[in-house]
Amino acid sequence: MDDYPAGSLDHNAPLLVVSGLGTGATKPLLADPDLKERGTLIRSELPLIDGREAKAILHCIQEADATSWPWNPTETTKKYRFKIKTIGREFLLPPRRARLPEDYEAPLSPPVLHSPFSPLSPGSTLYPDGLIDARWLAKHQEFIPSICLSFYSLTSDPSLATLNDNQLKTDINAVKHALSQSGHKTRLAVVILSDQAPGAMEPFQERLENIRRSTGLDPKTSLFVLPTKRSEAELEVAADSVLSSVFMQATEYYRDLSRRTRKKRGRGVAPQPTIPPTSGTSHTLSLQGWNVRYDFKAAVFAEFRQDMEAALRSYEQAYESLFGTDVLETVPSWSPRFNDGRLLADVIAVRILRCLFWTGQSTAGVRRWQAHRYKLSDFLDQRGRGTQNYGWQAWESRWAEVMAQLVEKAKFPELEPSSLNLFRPPEKALSAERLQPWEMLHHPGYWYRISARHTLDRRKLAYSILKMPGSHQTQPYEEYPLEGQGTVHAQKVLTHLYLAIGEFQKRKQKRLAVEVALESSVELERIGAWKQLLEFLTPLWRTISFRSESWWNLTEALSWILRNAAARAGQADLVLAIDWELMNSRYNRRPQWQYDINKSLEGVEVEEAPELSLNDDAITSFLESSFVFKHGEGRAGQTCPAQLAITSKAFSGSTPVVLDEIRVEFEGSLRALHLEHESSSPKQTSSEPRGMVGHDDLTIAPGQTRVFEVDVPLREAGEGKATSVRVTLAPEAFTLNYTMKLREDNSTGVWYVAPAKRRVTRPNPLSIKVLPRPPKMEVKFVNVLKQYYAGEPIHVEVQLINEEDVDANTKLDVHLYGQDVPHFKAHAEDGSEDLSSAGEGEEAKLDGPAIGTIEASKSAKATVIIDPINRPTAYDLTIKAWYTLVTDPGTHIVQIVAFQLNIVNPFEASYDLVPRLHSDPWPSVFDYEAIKELDDNDGSFSRPRGLAQKWCLITRFGSFATEDLRVVDLDLQVKGTQGDVVCSASKNQTLPEDGILMAPKIMDEARFDLVAQKLSLDDRNPSTADLEFMVRWRRTSADPASTPNATTFLLDPFYVTVAEPRVLASVYYSVASSPSSSKSTTPSTPSLSSTSPQIIILDITIENPSSHFLTFGLTMEPSDEFAFSGAKTTSLNVLPVARRTVTYRLLPVVEGGSWIKPQIVVRDKYFQKVLKIIPTEGMKRQGDSIMIWVPGQDADDEKGEETSEE
Amino acid sequence: MATAIPAIACLGVIGRNNNPLHTTILSTTTDPQTGRSAPLRTPLQFSLLLSSTLDIFESRARHAVASNTLLSGDFGLLHAVDDRLAAYGFETNTGVKFVAVVDMRGRILSGGGHGRPGGGGVTSPGGGVGGADATGAGGGAAASGTGPSSVVGAVGLRDGELKVVFRAMQTAYVRLLQNPFYDPEEGAKAGQLQQKRITSRRFAEEMRRIGDKWVPGV
Repeated sequence: MDDYPAGSLDHNAPLLVVSGLGTGATKPLLADPDLKERGTLIRSELPLIDGREAKAILHCIQEADATSWPWNPTETTKKYRFKIKTIGREFLLPPRRARLPEDYEAPLSPPVLHSPFSPLSPGSTLYPDGLIDARWLAKHQEFIPSICLSFYSLTSDPSLATLNDNQLKTDINAVKHALSQSGHKTRLAVVILSDQAPGAMEPFQERLENIRRSTGLDPKTSLFVLPTKRSEAELEVAADSVLSSVFMQATEYYRDLSRRTRKKRGRGVAPQPTIPPTSGTSHTLSLQGWNVRYDFKAAVFAEFRQDMEAALRSYEQAYESLFGTDVLETVPSWSPRFNDGRLLADVIAVRILRCLFWTGQSTAGVRRWQAHRYKLSDFLDQRGRGTQNYGWQAWESRWAEVMAQLVEKAKFPELEPSSLNLFRPPEKALSAERLQPWEMLHHPGYWYRISARHTLDRRKLAYSILKMPGSHQTQPYEEYPLEGQGTVHAQKVLTHLYLAIGEFQKRKQKRLAVEVALESSVELERIGAWKQLLEFLTPLWRTISFRSESWWNLTEALSWILRNAAARAGQADLVLAIDWELMNSRYNRRPQWQYDINKSLEGVEVEEAPELSLNDDAITSFLESSFVFKHGEGRAGQTCPAQLAITSKAFSGSTPVVLDEIRVEFEGSLRALHLEHESSSPKQTSSEPRGMVGHDDLTIAPGQTRVFEVDVPLREAGEGKATSVRVTLAPEAFTLNYTMKLREDNSTGVWYVAPAKRRVTRPNPLSIKVLPRPPKMEVKFVNVLKQYYAGEPIHVEVQLINEEDVDANTKLDVHLYGQDVPHFKAHAEDGSEDLSSAGEGEEAKLDGPAIGTIEASKSAKATVIIDPINRPTAYDLTIKAWYTLVTDPGTHIVQIVAFQLNIVNPFEASYDLVPRLHSDPWPSVFDYEAIKELDDNDGSFSRPRGLAQKWCLITRFGSFATEDLRVVDLDLQVKGTQGDVVCSASKNQTLPEDGILMAPKIMDEARFDLVAQKLSLDDRNPSTADLEFMVRWRRTSADPASTPNATTFLLDPFYVTVAEPRVLASVYYSVASSPSSSKSTTPSTPSLSSTSPQIIILDITIENPSSHFLTFGLTMEPSDEFAFSGAKTTSLNVLPVARRTVTYRLLPVVEGGSWIKPQIVVRDKYFQKVLKIIPTEGMKRQGDSIMIWVPGQDADDEKGEETSEE
Repeated sequence: MATAIPAIACLGVIGRNNNPLHTTILSTTTDPQTGRSAPLRTPLQFSLLLSSTLDIFESRARHAVASNTLLSGDFGLLHAVDDRLAAYGFETNTGVKFVAVVDMRGRILSGGGHGRPGGGGVTSPGGGVGGADATGAGGGAAASGTGPSSVVGAVGLRDGELKVVFRAMQTAYVRLLQNPFYDPEEGAKAGQLQQKRITSRRFAEEMRRIGDKWVPGV
């Protein structure tokens, strides 16, 4: 808009002159010396009002200046719009009439003088046939105020009141007079400031009334009283209301002016100039031309009144007339008036656009903008120099720029950057129409860009002049003005493009901004502003989304421009980076370009060899890398094979790249891996830890994939992950590091096996799990016995063999798991003290018998002793050997061994309790003394007095062990009795001195005598005894002096006394002795004689422990096997608590060494019940009867021993 | 004065990750030197134009999220680059974007029939003619020096008028997806930058047919 005369396009607002508040001299309104000289001075004599309130009011008023307000109605919350000028106490009004030229001879009749701005006045620039120009606009906008707002002060001092009031009145009247004398219709408005509060104005009413009357001012429209004794906010409100009232006056003022213009137009004749033109064509302004002028004026006045619709109508009318008959078409294109007319057309068009925007008609605005373009181009094609020239493009550029600025000034809320809208939807009236997309008003960025495009076209056309044959020596494309510099197209283009970029960026159109930036960089390249170009483009090049979004052609376009600039500016690192990227064959091959990174810097001025680091976040190069661990797991101290593959996707035919070094970085416990070019000399002997280094020829040709297989040593336990691969190029001219991230994706890695490639089918081939170093301490159980038995203490020996390379500090943890675990102890070999286990139930543990330091390849021993266990069971014994190496005391290494202990009973036993005849006599009811003794001791003596019964416990025990065991001792113990009985057990036989050696699965028998005696004779309840059988034994390997192990068996309770009557049979062998002596013979091991016939004495004893008198019948059947003496049938009475014995003598008639079977029946006579006869020693039972052994040859009696009763 | 009506100058298919999948460029103007039909812009310029629409797709999507409105597939007018070219957009629910660049004066109505200048268009399957000089912003249509009024664009467009184009494009794209050998995500896996373009000749031909056939519903 700056290309148009100042003020010609601005929005017009009423000019308000504020007088009396300013603090000093201000810029005079009139600058033109000629006008100044003849201007009318409007001056007030009263002093300026100073003070806080005056300043506040002035501030409020100046705030209301609408000069910088946006060109739309919505912004103003106020009802007025002013252009405000503050003056001191005086200002100049321009002369009403022009003067006659000095050399002009006075005609006969006095000439009609016109305004100095009119084409009628000879002094005017428009004389004689101009239409209208910016000076006329300036006259109304800058020079002639619609309102002069004068501030006066009302004194509150009564003594000065009259004097001051009179001065005031005089001054107001003088100003009024001066204004009316000037010929202009400027209105005077007076504000009287009082230092009182609004409520205290009553006393002054009379004075104010007086002033009003003598000055003839209307208190509603032109005389305002402003008590200043109030808050600033209230003052602001008051000032606001004054301005609102004054605005009405201003509107009236401009309405008057429009009315006058309309009146002139209505005359329908072209006015005659003051002096007819004598020079040139003597052409004067046609009536149509005058109509344009009048319409334009009317429109501007309407705009002053903020009546935009009226203004729009008038402007359109003026525009129509301008291009209508007899106005512009009559002006020859060489005439300056032609250009003036074009300018006016533009001005009107811009003002029309503003009116449209003001009323919200943005789409109509775009249409109008286009229409003016078409109109003007048509007009120029017909009347002017056409549109095929740079001038037209220059105008096009300006026209687009003006639109951009108009849109900016209109500040549509829909187009605010924060709304992110790119265009404004069409107004309602047009929304149903078929619209051109461009007719949606786009934001200024688009318009600036178009403007720049037209400038480019303008340059193209200007340059084309040069190419025409017979062109001038000068360079007309520089569009030489007569003096000064030619047009710098690039600068214009750049200005507009930068503005466009700004607008696009504000609306987050980052890609479009880059596109425009690309356009501007072409311009920068053209003018050789390399540095500027680099600054501008480098950040874009680094961050553009083209690359990540695969818009390769765009990336490439940008890169080449930047490379050129970088090469020119000597920015070697950038040149390298771009060359590095552009070698990728996905870009287009640049013809005649040598793709060789080593020669990148040829022709670039470089001070020192640059070193630069790139990574694939910013730049994607032609090299791609992948890394694969062959295994997902490995152990510390071992190695894992891995492959590093580097693929080149460079242009075929490009020079192979020679990498100086490849470095693979790891995360976690792995150290970096280096591959160095074989031929590279060991120049880099840097002090940094080099990790692992390998050497190979690192040349990679285009399209080639190099696979390097390495064994990666795994050092520490933990996760290890390959993170990046860095390749380094280091030819003489530069050093380039390029880092490629190894990205985690879910694809499986590729393991190359010549010739085909094989996939590693595990999810993340980049990482490896390194397991802890395997323990090299061997822990084993030594001297393990085949079987462990219940009842023996279990010794478990552990041997620790240190197979590590260094000494190990070792400690053991022993755990025992199982049901009801016993206590155990452990100690080391060196005789350290026993430690006892803790814990019961399921688990017992023992933390840390320290073994101490075991030297390398030496061993140590420890022993765990578990207390004897009484029952067969199973336990898990776990031994953890914790050790640290003396070289690395921080790392604990654990070796764990487990051992299952199966404990079985070495022996199993079965039992039989058989009755025996107790040899002691039963107490006799007839034995008075014995009874007496009983009575005496009753209650005070615990000796049992009850009946005693004798039993024999036959124990058969067998060895269940897997080896020979030596039984040292057998024992039976009475653990307890129930039923008031005393019970004692005694060994029936003795074992040999060194015990019995029992082979596996061999049975043996042991007999124990058991005597039970009731405590009381009267107690006849049966009683039981709990018995425990114990086998004491040793392993054959054990020390004979050591304590034997004891395996005990708990027996079920046995009845040891019975209350029922029973019949016991006992037998003796004698050689023809008298039957009466049989009782006194020793019961066991009868001495045998083979010489004389043997007599067998059979006693049948009936015991009656009950308190009943019982009668039994006894019958002895004769038999073929023997002869007998004794009662064949007899009856036997047994008293309560008594026993009786019937004796038979048998003479066997069978051969010795066989059994005979006497048939004896004992019958309870009362109950008619047969009692079973119970055999005792040396007898057995068969069916219901007893059997008696007839001894034959010697040693036959053994048989009797073993085949005992069932 | 001939009257011009809109014609499609370029059809673009842009992938879910904003990667270009396909570009069809149609001739809508006449080369002043050779008199043959020619595209209005260079392939590079069309690429830039398509890329710039992504800003708008993004911004509209963000706006839709912010205001919690549901985006329908048709984005309507994305923007007009100048008084001739305007871009219209459509996004499928899988994030694939179709862009139609309309030349508002791409077809000249003369006498009875109408046709593209010079007849058949030139199709370029994406990519660009490389080289720095191709970026010259001055390569635009206005360089021919034709005044704006030599051809008047009389016919405007309503927002929904390109729906048929997008529907046809979507149908073609769906047909492409039905091809078991075409994997739209190929190469688009995490971190990979090499994203494949559509290479199906049938798809390209279909795009050209769609572009050629379309006339605004006058």
